[in-house]
Amino acid sequence: MATNFANLRFYRWLSSLVLVLIAGCDSQGTASLSENSVIYCSEGTPAILNPQLETSGVTIDATAKQLYNQLIAFDPKDNSIAPSLAKSWHVTKDNKKITFYLRQNVFFHQTEYFTPTRPLNADDVLFSFNRILDRTQVFHYVSGGKYPFFQSVGFAELIESIERINDHTIRFTLKRADSSFLANLATDFAVILSKEYGEQLIKTNELEKLDTQPIGTGPFKLKEYRAGSYLRLMPHDNYWATPSSLKQLIYDITPSNTGRLTKLLAGECDVIAYPIAHQKITENPLLTLESVTAMNIGYLGFNTTKPPFNDKRVRRAIAHAINKPAILNTIYKGDSAAEPAVSILPPSSWAYNDNVDTIDYSIDKAKDLLEQAGIGSDLTLNLWAMPVQRSYNPDAVTMAKLIQADLKKVGISVKIVTYNWQEFLRRLALGEHDAVLLGWSADHPDPDNFFSPLLSCASAETGNNRTFWCNETFDDLLQSSLDTTDMNARREYYRQALNIVADEMPLFPIAHSKRFQAKKHNLKGNILRSYGGISFEGVEKH
Amino acid sequence: MFILTILTFSLSFFFPGEHLANISGQINATPEQLELVALEYGKHESVLYQYWYYLNHLFQGNLGVSMNSQLPVADEIMSHLPATIELTLVALFIAMIAGIPIGFIAAIRHRKKTDNLILSFSMIGYSIPVFWLALLAILVFSIQLGWLPSAGQISLVYEIEQVTGILFIDILISDTPYKWQAFNNATTHIILPACVIALAPATIFVRLARTAMLSVLDSHYIKAAMAKGLNTRQIVFRHAIRNAMVNVIRDVGLQFANLVTLAMVTEVIFNWPGIGNWLIQSIYQRDYTAIQGGLLALSSFIFIVHILTDFIYASLNPLARGSKHAS
Amino acid sequence: MRRDNIYTEEEFPSPLAELWQNFKQSPIVMVGFSCFAFLILFSIFSPIISPYSPIENNLDHILLPPAWHDDGNVSFLLGTDNLGRDMLSRIIHGTSLTFGLSFVVVILSMIIGVIIGSLSALTRGIKSSFLNHFLDVILSIPSLLLAIVIVAILGPGLNNTLWAIVMVLIPQFVHITRNAVVQEFKKDYVLASKLDGASSIRILHYSIFPNITEKIISQATLAQSAAILDIATLGFLGLGAPIPMPEWGAMLANGIDLFYIAPWTVYLPGLAILFAIIATNLVGEGMKHALKMQREN
Repeated sequence: MATNFANLRFYRWLSSLVLVLIAGCDSQGTASLSENSVIYCSEGTPAILNPQLETSGVTIDATAKQLYNQLIAFDPKDNSIAPSLAKSWHVTKDNKKITFYLRQNVFFHQTEYFTPTRPLNADDVLFSFNRILDRTQVFHYVSGGKYPFFQSVGFAELIESIERINDHTIRFTLKRADSSFLANLATDFAVILSKEYGEQLIKTNELEKLDTQPIGTGPFKLKEYRAGSYLRLMPHDNYWATPSSLKQLIYDITPSNTGRLTKLLAGECDVIAYPIAHQKITENPLLTLESVTAMNIGYLGFNTTKPPFNDKRVRRAIAHAINKPAILNTIYKGDSAAEPAVSILPPSSWAYNDNVDTIDYSIDKAKDLLEQAGIGSDLTLNLWAMPVQRSYNPDAVTMAKLIQADLKKVGISVKIVTYNWQEFLRRLALGEHDAVLLGWSADHPDPDNFFSPLLSCASAETGNNRTFWCNETFDDLLQSSLDTTDMNARREYYRQALNIVADEMPLFPIAHSKRFQAKKHNLKGNILRSYGGISFEGVEKH
Repeated sequence: MFILTILTFSLSFFFPGEHLANISGQINATPEQLELVALEYGKHESVLYQYWYYLNHLFQGNLGVSMNSQLPVADEIMSHLPATIELTLVALFIAMIAGIPIGFIAAIRHRKKTDNLILSFSMIGYSIPVFWLALLAILVFSIQLGWLPSAGQISLVYEIEQVTGILFIDILISDTPYKWQAFNNATTHIILPACVIALAPATIFVRLARTAMLSVLDSHYIKAAMAKGLNTRQIVFRHAIRNAMVNVIRDVGLQFANLVTLAMVTEVIFNWPGIGNWLIQSIYQRDYTAIQGGLLALSSFIFIVHILTDFIYASLNPLARGSKHAS
Repeated sequence: MRRDNIYTEEEFPSPLAELWQNFKQSPIVMVGFSCFAFLILFSIFSPIISPYSPIENNLDHILLPPAWHDDGNVSFLLGTDNLGRDMLSRIIHGTSLTFGLSFVVVILSMIIGVIIGSLSALTRGIKSSFLNHFLDVILSIPSLLLAIVIVAILGPGLNNTLWAIVMVLIPQFVHITRNAVVQEFKKDYVLASKLDGASSIRILHYSIFPNITEKIISQATLAQSAAILDIATLGFLGLGAPIPMPEWGAMLANGIDLFYIAPWTVYLPGLAILFAIIATNLVGEGMKHALKMQREN
């Protein structure tokens, strides 16, 4: 008996020794490879790896500034327009002709599936924009044939022609002056693809690979993508600016908020998107919490094609019944950066105007309106809450619960619906929802970016306008504003447009907020950007 | 097995939506394509024929494409199932080497303090909800102590090509210069989820082993051995353990089904890229083709393990062999 | 009730009464049993006992820690969650959802299972053997997996979860009833009443059921602990009770996002589940033990 126990003890001891050994080896081991690898724990799975086709932040974060470059970019310091692939540009006096002079010796990615034979030239730029504009181009209808951002700003109607002047000069001719044109080209969506790669794909008849196995000029190139689990990027050694010093950049797709924080605390991630429990991060000496003032809006959008929500009285009634201060206190608590939204425009926009109509919290008004609209007590609202965290809405499901409780007071029962992000967007575009908690982050400083992509008729067609609301007066106002460069006139047009929104209530603005991110101390460099997606260019690990 | 296929086939009728879409996963197909699929699955013939076509597809390894990702379900299963097999086998191993000896000790010290203590602990272990245990384990071992990683199969910095799908084998046959680092890293990743899964089955093994050992110790040949004057140690090690083990092995198969269920839930929490995690994600997305395929794969896996343990039992125990032939 | 025994007659307690006699001998089991009874009372009277509404938000008091904590508030004994809902009230209400419903589910599936089981015990031939094989397959699939699949068919929701678990538990009862009935039928006293000309149904009712109840009840306690776990797990996976409902598993899942700022939202529902399962298992264990004693006597 005694030896039996002694044996057992011995085994225990042995097994614990093995454990310690393994753990010991590991802590020395990973260091050597992970020293130069950055793991970014992201919040969702990119649906496709080409930002031309998507406006979802997940796709933009993963691709736009990593795999690709645009002709021009926003300077991260002052948000002015800065050179990127175009080293300079020239705009004619009438604002109708813009000529870009391309940088020499910009190389595309060399990967297992593609080897470029020539540097970037005007053909590639032409190819990239023709994909969006030219319905006869082979790639136009590949991957759905929808270009939500470009369609929402009316890109096709704006461009008269794009000409190749010589190998490194390209000229855009516009039908009319557009004050947001340059800003639109500097957004994450206007990426430059490789024409040579496109030709290779035509030969092998694998057209859809243009968007799933992308080739760009960006600081990183694609190594491996497993939807739902990870995205592995390698540095692009021939990058035209300074090549990255990292060995790998990995997007570890972790939709769970707690999961991301756990991974950060356990040291499995270097950076995490949209952290929760900020206090936990700030009190940890190894971690830093960063934030950037992002131009965004979190809103409750109604599906204006579905009865009874096609009746503006019902929409207004619901808006009256929502206790916005309570939502702000609960959802954005601790992240004091959030402020209640008066309209869809954040205060940091130059067109901001607090002299617009708003809707106050009043259960009585809500009940009156519902009565006028002839709604009994049996109205059920399918409220879709987005499953990912966004700065403008850090916890849509909890927000939905609050709204559920609010609307119960006026006799509307709310069913909360949620799917994974990809599926959510797909079904949303089909219009399966009654109302949805969503938001929008601006891609450039022009206020039009809050109007056209969100609420114009054109974007209702592409499904980016999830309210499917289409109002001609409103669209005309937007157009008039784009036609002029007079700031005061534009501000007035936007004020009128906002009043139409407040009256029609296709969406109920809730809050504007900062974008947060948490990272380890040893990671240097600016990842967050005020506009558009994150960037790992120039990030170093020490 | 046969009934299983009927079951999954009939599932495609039960699920909401179009039967054809459910079984093939083609949701965005044009009418012409749909017609082609209809022909392929014998849509225009009787249900029996349709079932026959379904079986044919199965044998060709064609389970349709996932409604969500539009990738072939069979491929998805092949990339996820090995991770589950790996996890469950390790967990089973842990449950057995921890549970059986403890059960034997309890039996030898029958009705003494040790026995009672072990029984009470096994009762608690058996009652803990696995998802809660997993969360607590992460909190203690990953966050507070920082010993073990909290999620995934291996740190993503290691790039391991998937060949067999069983990560440990893949690492060993890969040509990465960081082979041993990767191996250690994978080991630390599997410890926590495997232990969490193993806890409940281990407590069951404790009970099984205890009961088996008690009945063996009660048998005549042990009494005879005792009468001959052999000491306890000799009796236990030479005679009792062997015979008691045989009885425990018989129930391993049954426990395995339990283990797989626990693994499904645990995979979700530990973000383990296994079939349970994948199946539950498919349910969230109402991906019916994937659910059917995943269910079929998972049940067949359990079934195969059942048969395997039956064989092992038979080969270990001549008595069982005899009775099998007799029936 | 006092009973005057005029004759020195040896009294044979009914099998059930005998079971109870054996059952109450072990103190630990009795502790489990009183916890079990306590939970049943809780689940019946939960709306009366609980101090606050379990689903109403109270935004003035969000994320309060339990009362024994420095920042705690005595009027919220176990603290509040991120919407200011009192944890104690939610847990008490959760008793009727998780524990109470599992009880209902078990009884429902027991009734159906016993009926099917005894009918199938009376039939022979292909039908019976098909049923047998069918049951074998069903029993080999883990109950949770099966429940998940049924929920996948019916769609998530509490009602569907309950039906799924009922369906999952039925085969176990069919199996055990069938075996027990077949076994009893072979015994001599059944033969005796058969010779008296009693019909099968009559035999089933008067001779067999009283003798197999204890087996079925013992199975029911096992089924109950499985049912609690299944309801909670489905709730946790977000396939069970819908969002505002204070079902323990769903509460736990809801608490995960608050794990680092309000750990009690995770600890408490987990403890509640653990407590309910241990109580049920203790009762089951005691039942098993008592059955064994009965057999040995």
